[in-house]
Amino acid sequence: MKTIMIKTHEVWLATLMAGFMSKTENKQVLFDFSDILFRHFTWLENELIELGESYNYDRDAIPIKVEKLSDLLHDIEKRLTEIDLQLLSSPDKHLNERITTDIKYMRDVLVHMKDENITAFGMERKFPGIDLTVEATDALTLFLFEETYKEYELIMIYNYLKAHSSDAYLNRIFQILIDESFFHLKSFGDMGAKMGILAVPRIVMKELYQVEDVVQFLKDGINEELAAKEECKKLSEAVAKDSPELEKFFDFINHQENYHISLMEDALKHFEKVNNG
Amino acid sequence: MSMDAQLIEHMMNPKNYGTLEYADTQGIGKNPENGEKVAIYIRVGKDEKESYIDDIRFQAIGCTTTVVAGSMLTEEAKGLNFNGVQNLVEATMKLLDRLPPEDAACSEMVALAIKAAVDTYEKRKSDPDYPTITYKIVNSCVPKDDNTEITENQKEGE
Repeated sequence: MKTIMIKTHEVWLATLMAGFMSKTENKQVLFDFSDILFRHFTWLENELIELGESYNYDRDAIPIKVEKLSDLLHDIEKRLTEIDLQLLSSPDKHLNERITTDIKYMRDVLVHMKDENITAFGMERKFPGIDLTVEATDALTLFLFEETYKEYELIMIYNYLKAHSSDAYLNRIFQILIDESFFHLKSFGDMGAKMGILAVPRIVMKELYQVEDVVQFLKDGINEELAAKEECKKLSEAVAKDSPELEKFFDFINHQENYHISLMEDALKHFEKVNNG
Repeated sequence: MSMDAQLIEHMMNPKNYGTLEYADTQGIGKNPENGEKVAIYIRVGKDEKESYIDDIRFQAIGCTTTVVAGSMLTEEAKGLNFNGVQNLVEATMKLLDRLPPEDAACSEMVALAIKAAVDTYEKRKSDPDYPTITYKIVNSCVPKDDNTEITENQKEGE
């Protein structure tokens, strides 16, 4: 079961990356499939928790550098087939059936997907239709690497916290934060692909999601969101002269952080209230 | 950080990132200012004369610059004998003054983590239960006038 969860984690990310690479109608299908695979990942995780098995979010590196989308799609199909086979020996037959029927459909769609040439790894660092200065390009590059990882990290942390909490109020907040981070991850991943610098976020260290002190984690998280607001503001200013469109986008992301801060403050208050009886 | 293709390649595909199954030793480099840290995992090889780094991995809680420094330094460390590793750490420490503060702090954290892993290995020869050594960096992400020599104060977990 543990291996299936790790393999599902890897194929979820591979499919998400394929979505970033695509420039056609394939994109939305791949994003939808990656969302489904993420849900499989959470089901398998819950199964492990119910069985009392220890687990973590370690995984192998995921090679995604391809010239044709079909190369990555073949790899995804192979990964899905492997998961399907491993599910045969897994104890929860209902869960297996749900996942297997999804996999069967996804594999069928992937086989018939139209091929595309991939430009997501060219390192040109040119945003289509926008001429940025060298300084603005460097700032945007660094921001995309930092924040793509950060959003993935947040998804994993909130997901772990949610999986280990039975508090409905907190879980509602964690789920909203997961959804928000997915939106940011998809936005930044898409931008990375357009700039030719798409990369799989690195593996998150255990101690980040296996949170021992949730109160401290939330307090640190609020400070990190405040720092992220500053980064968005700086980036918005750096690109403002060359691209009002990007300026508006980073202002929008900056303002979204206010909502995240407010949710984390709510979670903090609730957690302290519950812990203090 | 000024960006060239080599640097971007390290950002996109950091070398040696992750943990190492059956690692012989581990070391930590830590920034006490902000909790950022680098963990190094080493599998030690031995030929007739000496021990050397057969394989190495790193993980980081830190920024992209730390990941780039980890990718570059672990690539350089791979295959070196322990004297070579010592030279690599010292050469890196000497270079720190010439780097921007944030780059210096990140490189120092990786170099000290490598040193901590080798030192942990040496300590465990006589005491197999010796804890993983952590060295704290003295460079800050913001400029200040510290030296970068490894002092007793930097050691933790010993």
